Amino acid sequence: MTTHRTCDGMARRDLLKAGVLGIGGLTLADYYRLAEAGEVQRPLADRAIFIELGGGPSHLDTFDLKPDAPDNIRGTFRPIKTNVPGIEISEHLPRLAGCADKFAILRGVSHTLAAHELGRQYINTGNRPIPSLVYPGYGSVVANQLETPLDIPANVAIPRVAQGPGFLGLKYAALETNSAPQPGRPYSVRGLTLGGGISLDEIERRQGLLGKLDRRFAEIDSDRHLLEGLDQFGSQAYAMITSKRARDAFDLSKESPAFVKQFGDDSFALSCLLALRLVEAGVRYVTVQLGGWDTHQDNFTRLSSNLLPKLDQGLSGLFNGLDQRGLFDSTAVLVSGEFGRTPKINERSAEGGRDHYPRCMFMLMAGGGVRGGQVIGESDATASAPLHEAFSPDDVAASFYRNLGIDPEIEFHTETGRPITLVRNGRVIERLFS
Amino acid sequence: MNRSLSLSLPSRAWRIRGGLGCPTLAGLAILCGLFGSVVAAQPPDRIAAVSVTPDADEDQRPVVMPPLADRFGGPGVEEVPDFQRHIGPLLGHLGCNGRACHGSFQGRGGFMLSLFGYDFATDHAALIDGDSGRIDLDEIAESLILFKPIDAERHEGGKRMDLDSWQYRVLSRWIEGGAEFSGEIQHLEALSVEPAELLFEGAQQQAQLKVVARWADGTLEEVTDLCRFTTNDDSVAKVSQSGEVTSGDIGDTHVIIAYDRAVVPVPVMRPGDLDPLDLPQPPSSDHPVDLLIAAKLDKMRIVPSDLCDDADFIRRVSFDLTGTLPPAERVERFLADDSPGKREVLIEELLTQPGYAAWWATRLSDWTGNNEAQLNNYLPIRGLATQLWFRWLEKRLSENVGYDEIMEGLVLAQSRMPDESYREYCETMSEVCRTGDTDSYAERSGMPIFWARNNFRTNEERAIGFAYTFLGVRIECAQCHKHPFDRWSKDDFDQFAVLFSPIRATPNSTAPESAREMRRMTEEITGGENLRGGDLRQKITEALKEGKVVPFPELTINAAPANRNRQNRGRPQPNRQGKILGESDQVVVQGDPREALMEWLRSPENPYFAKAIVNRVWANHFGIGIVNPVDDLNLGNPPSNAPLLDHLAQGFIESGFDLHWLHRHILTSHAYQRSSVPNASNVNDKQNFSRHVPRRLPAEALRDAIRLATFGAEEESRARAELSGLAISGVLNAERRGRGDFALQVFGQSTRESNCDCDRSDQSNLLQSLYLRNDLDIHQSLSQRGGWVEQATAAWEPAGASGRMEGRGSRERQQLIRRFQTFLDLPPQRQQQMRPRLVRELQQVNRRRTQNELEPLRFADLMRSARESLREAGAPTGDSEPSQVAAAAGARSATGTSVAAVPQSEIDAVVRAAYLRTLSRYPSADELTMAREYMQDSESPAAGLRSVLWALLNTKEFVLTH
Repeated sequence: MTTHRTCDGMARRDLLKAGVLGIGGLTLADYYRLAEAGEVQRPLADRAIFIELGGGPSHLDTFDLKPDAPDNIRGTFRPIKTNVPGIEISEHLPRLAGCADKFAILRGVSHTLAAHELGRQYINTGNRPIPSLVYPGYGSVVANQLETPLDIPANVAIPRVAQGPGFLGLKYAALETNSAPQPGRPYSVRGLTLGGGISLDEIERRQGLLGKLDRRFAEIDSDRHLLEGLDQFGSQAYAMITSKRARDAFDLSKESPAFVKQFGDDSFALSCLLALRLVEAGVRYVTVQLGGWDTHQDNFTRLSSNLLPKLDQGLSGLFNGLDQRGLFDSTAVLVSGEFGRTPKINERSAEGGRDHYPRCMFMLMAGGGVRGGQVIGESDATASAPLHEAFSPDDVAASFYRNLGIDPEIEFHTETGRPITLVRNGRVIERLFS
Repeated sequence: MNRSLSLSLPSRAWRIRGGLGCPTLAGLAILCGLFGSVVAAQPPDRIAAVSVTPDADEDQRPVVMPPLADRFGGPGVEEVPDFQRHIGPLLGHLGCNGRACHGSFQGRGGFMLSLFGYDFATDHAALIDGDSGRIDLDEIAESLILFKPIDAERHEGGKRMDLDSWQYRVLSRWIEGGAEFSGEIQHLEALSVEPAELLFEGAQQQAQLKVVARWADGTLEEVTDLCRFTTNDDSVAKVSQSGEVTSGDIGDTHVIIAYDRAVVPVPVMRPGDLDPLDLPQPPSSDHPVDLLIAAKLDKMRIVPSDLCDDADFIRRVSFDLTGTLPPAERVERFLADDSPGKREVLIEELLTQPGYAAWWATRLSDWTGNNEAQLNNYLPIRGLATQLWFRWLEKRLSENVGYDEIMEGLVLAQSRMPDESYREYCETMSEVCRTGDTDSYAERSGMPIFWARNNFRTNEERAIGFAYTFLGVRIECAQCHKHPFDRWSKDDFDQFAVLFSPIRATPNSTAPESAREMRRMTEEITGGENLRGGDLRQKITEALKEGKVVPFPELTINAAPANRNRQNRGRPQPNRQGKILGESDQVVVQGDPREALMEWLRSPENPYFAKAIVNRVWANHFGIGIVNPVDDLNLGNPPSNAPLLDHLAQGFIESGFDLHWLHRHILTSHAYQRSSVPNASNVNDKQNFSRHVPRRLPAEALRDAIRLATFGAEEESRARAELSGLAISGVLNAERRGRGDFALQVFGQSTRESNCDCDRSDQSNLLQSLYLRNDLDIHQSLSQRGGWVEQATAAWEPAGASGRMEGRGSRERQQLIRRFQTFLDLPPQRQQQMRPRLVRELQQVNRRRTQNELEPLRFADLMRSARESLREAGAPTGDSEPSQVAAAAGARSATGTSVAAVPQSEIDAVVRAAYLRTLSRYPSADELTMAREYMQDSESPAAGLRSVLWALLNTKEFVLTH
């Protein structure tokens, strides 16, 4: 048994290596027990979807418009009313305006990391990045904390995940699909879809043969941890490969055309649909990436002709779809980029662009216990800074975990035994749940 | 060695066993700054070894002051305690300066102490702070430091001591005496602990440690009550804060004692209950490594496992030494060989193979941080820097250049060779970048790219990275506070870090004398246009591809230390001074400080340089280091077998840092050649090298093994000779998101990004199992045209079917089909852009094919195949229609021969071959029967063999070492 010492003098057994669900923090069972006893509030959602807007979407042109600001800040987009009185968003998001009662808008979220990579790490973990340690992304924490059936992957990313499992270990890494569904094309996932001309029959026969041939370590008493772990992963892989429901969840052709239609016909919308099917099948955490928001140039054309229509269609489809399937109460949704963009429009291209701006940004949260149809926080007259209170990525992370019934203050231990609080500096934004 | 001695141990609860053979002094743990037993000429601030004559008479021995608990046990004490010796440590002992309490960076309740109390002046200032009331010289009992810790109600940290306890009296007397601190740091010369080693015979037994401090003024004082005690494994031994050790489970660990700046490990062992004589004894060995291991095993009453068989040995040593699955043919030859020295012969043979240099260049790339993402934009060709780095290492490893010399090439690297002008340098580098000629780069004497990484720029990053790479030491803790288990203070860190300040290696740095030439070259390329950043880089890359000579950055040494603080820029700076880690002499930071660093690294007295690499090589071969974590050599993390580590490091230095010597010395030991089958005494032992502990193969080795096991004959021999297509050749890496190698990513290839050996993972996970079972990579490897399965079953197929084999050519086709599939995955717009490139690629391939007299491939045909296989992969494969996909595969097998027509002896032969090329052994009779029957039940011989090979690749035996 190895013991590792930490920088601050704690000597502990390497708990994480044990890799048992929930170790290092509260298990779900513990949590429910505490909930029964009234010690903590009940968990509100038990699965989540994270929409990652890579590149950093402009807050001023989407969910935090300033129609009264000077021209060189306001930009060319006008606000429109939503189905919630008093809330206005960009004219290029009409479908989302029609379902604004479903999500909460956070304005004036603020941090200081203006580089993509650093900002991304911060937003994806709720911890300001430090060089000596890689924090786990949300999906890996969820996979670590919430139990998932054998044939269903806990953590899936379409097509990839920006933040890996960090100190939690590869075991909690997302199943990355490596490709996103494309309109009019069949869709498959590496390792999961039956490919290479192998039939289910053949897979079952092979599994039988493997069971007979894989005997070398069967009678050895040592190293059970490793050997049983491998057996466990083997059966889990087999369960997933041969599980109809796992494969069906990834098979978009199983969806009714009418339902698909409200998502629209592009890759991001289909990814949202896939995410919905996955959480419906029991996947705990799905990341969907929509990149291209780094609009240093031609900000307005790129937003209005491409990015915003995609986001509008896909995300409204997701919100409405979750609602129709009765999944809204059990699915926490978070939408965010790594930062906002400069209020002042630059002159780098004919119509101008906006640059990186972490001091003021927006995020959306929905599902689970989040009360939709509200705006939380406020930015100043030029959307340059939070007006009264600033929310940090840490606060958002704490709230997101809280929505999932995961205590943001549980302690993990890194591979070297260093104790790490899940979200060190976050305060839950209670108003989200009020 | 001395087996009988250990068996005759008296059955006392514990006993002191001293290395010096003198019970009273054996416990004297020698503490010395860095260099163990160097006694003479100690610089004044170093803790020196204590030299006490072993047989001094009782009455001549200096008097040891009794502990504070005795001296302050009752009222009316005259003595005034000392701040450094007593008050500081007492606060630590009471838990005041812990991370969660006043030692936190924000302090607690407005009161802040240095973490672990290394900063006496600041802590003293915090205590006597006038308005705080912590010390009240008039109303002593009202002083918060007395008043708070005795009262759980008022103290958030709870009750820490009793009123009128000795602790209370010590604090109180110190305040009465004026609460003073002289400001002078007194030097602790040694800390001795008795017993020096604890050997428990059962659980729940106790032993009391006694700790004596020896100060520079000659005083000796028992300080047991003031030390910080920790255990490295509380399942084996618990330790109380008064130094009482309680035994637990069978096993061995260390208790660590810290006082002032000393850290002393005391080994604690609880041997097993079995009588070693009742167990089967493995053959004896007089190999020095085995003798040193046996000494420890004897104490632990562990009998090592027997030696492994030849099949296990060839597989194990091939993977460990060359990262490569042994060829089936070599396995057979090895198994048939009955000469006695054949294992030694094999080791020598492997040391000369290309896989050896490639695998160790891979490992050295891990440890030196060879990471393309951190070298972005350093060279005009993307992805080249990491390959130059790799190849530079690989060349030296293949020539077995001394380890110190290889490291010197990194440490002292200059961009230009002696007598090379800037122009000549740029000409060479332009040529290297244009042609990708990594060999000619490897000829250069130094490898400056090491210094050019983005995460190796600031002094602090360099201090941390340098210590990690060359010393196997983690000093990051000391960047902010004293290292809790080593001697490093924040000052040590800062003084070390400043040494790196003159070194510049950015994409823009050039020596002053090169600046003019560089400008001229740049202007030539830009036509005088003022370009910057990405635009300039793009122009340079274009010019390079056109055959022009383009400017390259140089590593430069600033004559004056760089001052990056904008406000002070331009003002003259005094010469700054720094210190090499653990050394007391100041080094003036002027000129190139790397010379002094290299000299220090290479010095035979350096306590880390040789040990770090020896420990890493050991861990490569055993899966666990002698020190663990492998890259964390520190006083509080002692080796599991210190004499062994010393022996290897010493021998390595004496061999002239000869890596071949090191491998040979380790691999020829019985310890390395043990079986993974445990016996009753070592089933739970993982750290004393008493058996082979299975572990998952490293990412590169496993990925390559799948390739080698499934390649056809021609491709396999080419891969083995040239390492083409293999991950150990250094051209593939997992990092490039989306473009990286999926298998390497999933199996945890080192990310080489955070100065930690843990960047490489040998853990298993679900994705790996999914990959091995069902990834298209695997299915395609098994069914590739010209692959082993096809070749092995070709004789049984009708002539037409086997006739389509064309070796490498067909693989090319497969690769192109996959390119086409990727292409089809793109959105239509991107497809339009990419189409010309795809056509160009095909033209290139066809040119080559024509030269090799192969039929050219047709665009439309490839596109059709790509579409088909995409459809096949994505086709609904629900349970209702399982045969749809099978039909596609079956179409091929349907043309094949039925298995019934194949003679059993031939089937058995391919099963044997399949075993040899995956598990490096022959199948047992049972296994042979099961595999044969499976094949006979299959649709075709090829389908059957594919499944057998698939099953073998998916056994634990394939992915694990054994």
